[in-house]
Amino acid sequence: MTTVTSTHTPSGGARTSRGARAARRALVLAGGLVVLLLACAASLVYGSSHTTFGDVVDVLRGTADSNVTTIVESRYPRTAIGVLAGLCLAVAGSLMQGVTRNPLAEPGLLGINAGASASVVTATAFLGASGSTATMWWALPGALLAGVLVHALGSAGTSTNLVRLVLAGAVLSAVLTAYVQAVTLSKPQVFDSYRYWVVGALSGRDFDVFFSVLPFAVGGFLLAVLLGPSLNALALGNDTASALGSRPGLVRGAGLVSATLLSAAATAAVGPVAFVGLAVPHVVRALIGVDFRLQIVFSAIAGPALLLLADVVGRIVLRPQELMVGVVTAFIGAPALLYAVRRMKGAS
Amino acid sequence: MTQNTTSRVEPPTRHATGPDRPDDGTPVHRPGPRGCLTLGDTVALPVRRISVVTAIVLVLLLVATAVATLSLGSLGIPVSGLLDAFGGDAGVKESFVLERLRGPRLVVGIGVGAALGVSGALFQSVTRNPLGSPDIIGLNAGAGAGAALAALLLAGSVPVPVGAVLGAAGAMALVYVSTGAGFRSRGRLVVAGIGVAAIANAITQYVVYAVERDKATALNAYIHGSLSTRDWGDAVTIWVIVTLLVPLVALVSRPLAVGEMGDDLAGALGAHPARTKTIAVTLSIVLSAGAVSVAGPIAFISLTAPQIAKRVTRGTGPHLTLAALVGALLMAVADLAAQQLPWFDELPVGIYTMAVGGVYLGYLLIREWRRGTL
Repeated sequence: MTTVTSTHTPSGGARTSRGARAARRALVLAGGLVVLLLACAASLVYGSSHTTFGDVVDVLRGTADSNVTTIVESRYPRTAIGVLAGLCLAVAGSLMQGVTRNPLAEPGLLGINAGASASVVTATAFLGASGSTATMWWALPGALLAGVLVHALGSAGTSTNLVRLVLAGAVLSAVLTAYVQAVTLSKPQVFDSYRYWVVGALSGRDFDVFFSVLPFAVGGFLLAVLLGPSLNALALGNDTASALGSRPGLVRGAGLVSATLLSAAATAAVGPVAFVGLAVPHVVRALIGVDFRLQIVFSAIAGPALLLLADVVGRIVLRPQELMVGVVTAFIGAPALLYAVRRMKGAS
Repeated sequence: MTQNTTSRVEPPTRHATGPDRPDDGTPVHRPGPRGCLTLGDTVALPVRRISVVTAIVLVLLLVATAVATLSLGSLGIPVSGLLDAFGGDAGVKESFVLERLRGPRLVVGIGVGAALGVSGALFQSVTRNPLGSPDIIGLNAGAGAGAALAALLLAGSVPVPVGAVLGAAGAMALVYVSTGAGFRSRGRLVVAGIGVAAIANAITQYVVYAVERDKATALNAYIHGSLSTRDWGDAVTIWVIVTLLVPLVALVSRPLAVGEMGDDLAGALGAHPARTKTIAVTLSIVLSAGAVSVAGPIAFISLTAPQIAKRVTRGTGPHLTLAALVGALLMAVADLAAQQLPWFDELPVGIYTMAVGGVYLGYLLIREWRRGTL
């Protein structure tokens, strides 16, 4: 199976030798890790209070004064949640694009984030749910329901149509967003802490949030890694995949479960952040090719880097105020959507 | 219509109203073209009866909604006192409600609805695509971003409506370029519009948070579209735009109807499809931008109004008058709901139109897919 996929890899040049390609991939992965480390460092260094890189190093060695230590340590949970949410969103995007064979599939674009938000807002406003663990449990059914609904709408008929899926997602997102806004605006006292969550933000989270979504994120990610080889087979089409011994229906179902787990975890932690799941897989494919095993691993590096960098930008541009990370990712991710549209074929 | 065989000699225009006639076997003989509004011997506007009836019904509904808007609720002016209040013969409370609280809001709402309806009808006619309407393809969001930039960041140097027009034009240029096929490709148009709308909304949010972070009403108006706290200045802005552009829209209406048959055929019939489209898109952008500059990016009115008008009359062509009336009615009803519904306290009207319009869009999509036209 692996030989089939690697000889069919369209990018990277068919004549490149296997060793050169492996070296290139190793280089790209190493570069991604360096960027991620820099993004983490930047996330610790930049904020509304001025600190320098030296301060952060001092804090890490335990030699800084208590003031600086408090400031930098307040950025730990934010950075950790950024890494986790970025990983979840990017891997979920990769999975969905593989499962639906749709370059536009993405949890934000397909209404899954909106479903999770609507569910959480309902539980908070009417059922008295509070705390990050309860939020997490409520995000899951909403995300799942929205995902199923959008796919049912979008794939009515014979084959799943790219434009249909996106439109169905847009419709569902519009209706659910109206609902979420109506509830949050009419109960401001309940949603004081959620006002930023609705747009997608990393600020104001603590490690409780991180640990309550961690199991879901880990479970979803492991499932995604296991699915990698099967997704490679699926990319060749249903018939070929069946002939190769893969079971397309099962793989699709498992892929969507994993993507839902991941996007529910991300939404519960940081709110509905769109376009990370769209942009990252496109960048990853351009850099390392279409092998899903590598795509998923590299998405797990590039996603956190993108989300953290977006968050850092959001902290800097309006200093001393902050711009929510969801707004910054729209600036970065929506052009990726336009780029994908230009390359769309046969959707006219 | 079996009796048609007995009356072949009549001019072919007679079947303009033919199907509506009862099957009583008595063909009506009348000289001159049928189904026309005539003015002397020189002017004859072809008008279908169902369109006239629909227009009258819509106007009546609009008046009823306006009366309800002014008279419902604890601050409402009782229906019996409305005429007195219009005559200036009213108490302090009544004149405050009429002149400050609900009057401007109602007038702005009707103007905005009409502008959005016409704008949507023009765009849907140009793209020949019910989904190619300004709110789906990012025009309203772009106008909202432009208005927010002009009002909050560049206050004083650029008037808000100009900013809105520039934003809308920028958004359309971006959509046009990124589809790679102009406005022709249905699927790409819609998806590119979603992307452009996301960028525009991000700009709006950036501006609002950069400048007016604490003012929730400003945020609501710029992000969802709202009619609360509108004044007569806003009413003048939107109605001047509507009044100035209506004659131009009327001029472009006929060539657009011809253009819906396809560029080749329209060209062969002597129309100038490319020129007509450019004019129509420009008018559409200005109308949308005007609406957005006073009320914010109100969702889904420009999508639904022309579609409802088309459904009711089952005719061809852009239906500009009816689209305007339906848009005005939808807007007035939505704002009435925003003011009077007990569940939510004074939500921005854009949230109501988004919820109802979203459901309608879903219905529209399912219908298109059944037919296999998307």
